Amino acid sequence: MQLPNPVDYAVPGFILLVLIEMIVAWVKDRKRYEPKDTLTSLALGTGSSVAGALTTGLLYGLAVWLWQFRLFDIGYAWYWFALCFVIDDFAYYLFHRSAHRVRWFWASHVIHHSSQHYNLSTALRQTWTGFISIAFLFRLPLFLIGFPPAMVFFVGGLNLIYQFWIHTEVIGRMPRWFEAVMNTPSHHRVHHATNPRYLDRNYAGVFIVWDKWLGSFEPEREDDAPRYGIVKNLGSFNLLWAAFHEWIGIAKDVWAAPGLRAKLGYLVMPPGWSHDGSRDTSEIIKQRWLAKEQAREGAEWKKPISSSSGADQAERRQQAG
Amino acid sequence: MNWTQLAGSIVAILVLAGVARLLRLGESRINTAEDARRIAEEMLAGFDAHAALVSQDGGAALVAGNGAIAVLKRHGAQVAARRLLPPLRVHPAVEGVTVETGERLFGSVTLLGVVDSDVRGLEASLTRV
Repeated sequence: MQLPNPVDYAVPGFILLVLIEMIVAWVKDRKRYEPKDTLTSLALGTGSSVAGALTTGLLYGLAVWLWQFRLFDIGYAWYWFALCFVIDDFAYYLFHRSAHRVRWFWASHVIHHSSQHYNLSTALRQTWTGFISIAFLFRLPLFLIGFPPAMVFFVGGLNLIYQFWIHTEVIGRMPRWFEAVMNTPSHHRVHHATNPRYLDRNYAGVFIVWDKWLGSFEPEREDDAPRYGIVKNLGSFNLLWAAFHEWIGIAKDVWAAPGLRAKLGYLVMPPGWSHDGSRDTSEIIKQRWLAKEQAREGAEWKKPISSSSGADQAERRQQAG
Repeated sequence: MNWTQLAGSIVAILVLAGVARLLRLGESRINTAEDARRIAEEMLAGFDAHAALVSQDGGAALVAGNGAIAVLKRHGAQVAARRLLPPLRVHPAVEGVTVETGERLFGSVTLLGVVDSDVRGLEASLTRV
């Protein structure tokens, strides 16, 4: 069975929605978009499509080869599509979590996070090196279960389309029941934020329940507005630097690292890891932030409490007098 | 993806970036020393900001912190930051000073209305804290 690539049909809709969001930004908050950032994001998106087109044949071949060893014969009834979509989304969650925790995978995924803006054009800011980072590994079990390759690629396309609209600040919160089950702009803003509280949280693609079940969920808070980007922001709109900077960083670190263990560490340990402890991982950043918050709260606790307490004391003094 | 889709994508990219420019989206500035201190602390993990120098055009700032100086530059509608150790590499620029960050792609940062002695004073404040 041949199925179309749904993303091809969605692209005109993406463009129209970006245009509408730009007009909303013009009316409400002009800092939401930046021409050079938008250009970089969209060019990265186009480059990603080209890179994808070059490697799709290889991936499809691998999928068909694996599928011959399948456990079950699964047909094209609608409910198989639905089940495939859910399992593929879980595979996406696992991939995405790894993409933030293993530097080799992060080198490819960081491109999507490298904008300091959060708008619909950010959704299109996609990697050129997904094939090199072997991200497709996480989807392979679906072929072994027995889902036909055409079905898996089709639902993968639907998953990607769903994730487009959650890259926006225009939508605040969705209805409660929806926020409880689905990934939403609010949940995904947390994922793109560099605030220590939000680092490495909310990996979901479509269903936020994976994060809730596996302990990686963090709700967005009114008192901690997300700040977007990466821990060490690029400070450049250079397209090639955005696409390859982490790979170059890995190469330099591996080259300079003393010994095989350290070299391997720079490939597989979390981003920010270093053999001499001179850099910060997200855990270290969180710990330091927590210590600072606790110290601040401790200081607040020791202070004489607010003007109202002062008034109370004054009242008491008057009564005593 | 075929050639028509690729050509269409490139045209769409240019149109959208053009619209963003036409609508004058993305304008911002670092307004005050207080802004600069807050941004430095938000962007650099563990940074405790003290004194700050802000460029007159709001395009850059230097912030003294715990043992280091944060160099901030306006990057599109946002701000990008780097932590530098003193002494900073500073040279005079037209109506201000330029600070070298040592990163080619991050680039150097120019502060208008700031002179070399201001920067040295900021560096010296690190030892007084």
